[in-house]
Amino acid sequence: METALKLENISKDFGRIIALRNVSLDLMQGEFISILGRNGAGKTTLLNIISGTSKPSQGSVLLFGTDPSDRTTKAKLAVISHEMFLYNNLTALENLEYYASIYRVENPGQRVLEVLAEVELTHRRFDLTGTFSRGMLQRLTIARAILHEPSMLLLDEPFTGLDQHAIAMLSTLLLKQKSKGRTILLTTHDLHLAVELSDRYIILDRHAIVEDGNISETSPEDLRTRFFQPLEKAGETV
Amino acid sequence: MRTALAILKKDLRMEFRSKESILAMWIFSLLIFVIFNFTFEVSRLVMLEIAPGLLWVAFIFSGIFGLNQSFAIEKENGNLRSMALMPVDGGSIYLGKFLSVTTIMLLFEALIFPIFIIFYDLHLSWEMLLLIPVILAGTIGFTSLGTILSAVAVHTRNHQILLSLLLWPLVSPIIIWSVTMTGMVLNAEVVQGFYPLLLRVVAFDIIFFTLSFMLFEFILEE
Repeated sequence: METALKLENISKDFGRIIALRNVSLDLMQGEFISILGRNGAGKTTLLNIISGTSKPSQGSVLLFGTDPSDRTTKAKLAVISHEMFLYNNLTALENLEYYASIYRVENPGQRVLEVLAEVELTHRRFDLTGTFSRGMLQRLTIARAILHEPSMLLLDEPFTGLDQHAIAMLSTLLLKQKSKGRTILLTTHDLHLAVELSDRYIILDRHAIVEDGNISETSPEDLRTRFFQPLEKAGETV
Repeated sequence: MRTALAILKKDLRMEFRSKESILAMWIFSLLIFVIFNFTFEVSRLVMLEIAPGLLWVAFIFSGIFGLNQSFAIEKENGNLRSMALMPVDGGSIYLGKFLSVTTIMLLFEALIFPIFIIFYDLHLSWEMLLLIPVILAGTIGFTSLGTILSAVAVHTRNHQILLSLLLWPLVSPIIIWSVTMTGMVLNAEVVQGFYPLLLRVVAFDIIFFTLSFMLFEFILEE
């Protein structure tokens, strides 16, 4: 298996505020990793650095062997966050057609309908996204993200504000993406979902990785214990 | 170019659906014309002196509203960040936004100009066709610089104020020359100095556009 992501001693500060300290991480293609950590631990900053929208203060990032700000690398990436990246005043179809055009999707008309069917929004394709519920918006966001068949998905707390039905649907969609061999990075506070979906987890605390483990070797209870103990652990490792 | 056209199509589709910018710009300009027309009881000669300034006041104030609106829609739902994630160069994104802002502004100008003619009782003549390159050059200068500065200002809390503060000093030569040329045309006094002025505005347009096109990549970065 080839390396999808290589982070070496990444540090990031915003003036006097430290966001990340010496973060190193290797991720193989097709791996699904959950990044756990409390608010302000540096999860979003880490995703921003991986996506190339933020530069690290120190260290190096290689995404599929190249710089994340490289255009060909960007084309292999999709980001899903609590920001939808959708236009309220466009219909679902128009939003996807716009992104299909930007990402140079082959046979865009057919592909747009395919992804709409995948997220079960075909019947709402002519409706303005401003009229959508939070769950429907998140599904459309997934459709927007997978439209260009990215090799890697970066998900920044995508379950925030969703009801149980929408969470179940999003989980199924993510597992489907995983089965297609896509590399997935997910930041979440939900330990059960992390165990259910991912192969591996890391815990970020005080802006550094304090735990890196395989999900198969842990249970949600185990993970909960580890999640709530990082302060002591951080004292040893950071 | 494909990226720029996709952005242009998206922006125009949204604008024609909501008519938010054009309608607000049009009403604002109409108010300016009405207020000035009924406030000053001056002779036609004096009115011809102040009319070019009034026309450009309407264009520019409304244009600033249009510029603010252009990037406000990108800020909604984090779309500005999605632009930074796109596998395209910043120049293409700039070109798309520039084309949409310019198209909307030119459309608004075409809609408001007949009202201006009626309110200030101006006589139509073939010479007035010279206003086309004047308005086109002045508008392009304003929007080429305004587009990049609007992208800078949108990140801040008081982006509307900041945009005006950044834009005015830089764009004022273009506006002053455009007002001068408009005055020459309206007064039927197109003299030798007209064409060098027009060339000067075009030169500024090229400089502003080229610099903005090259620098826009950095605006999208954090």
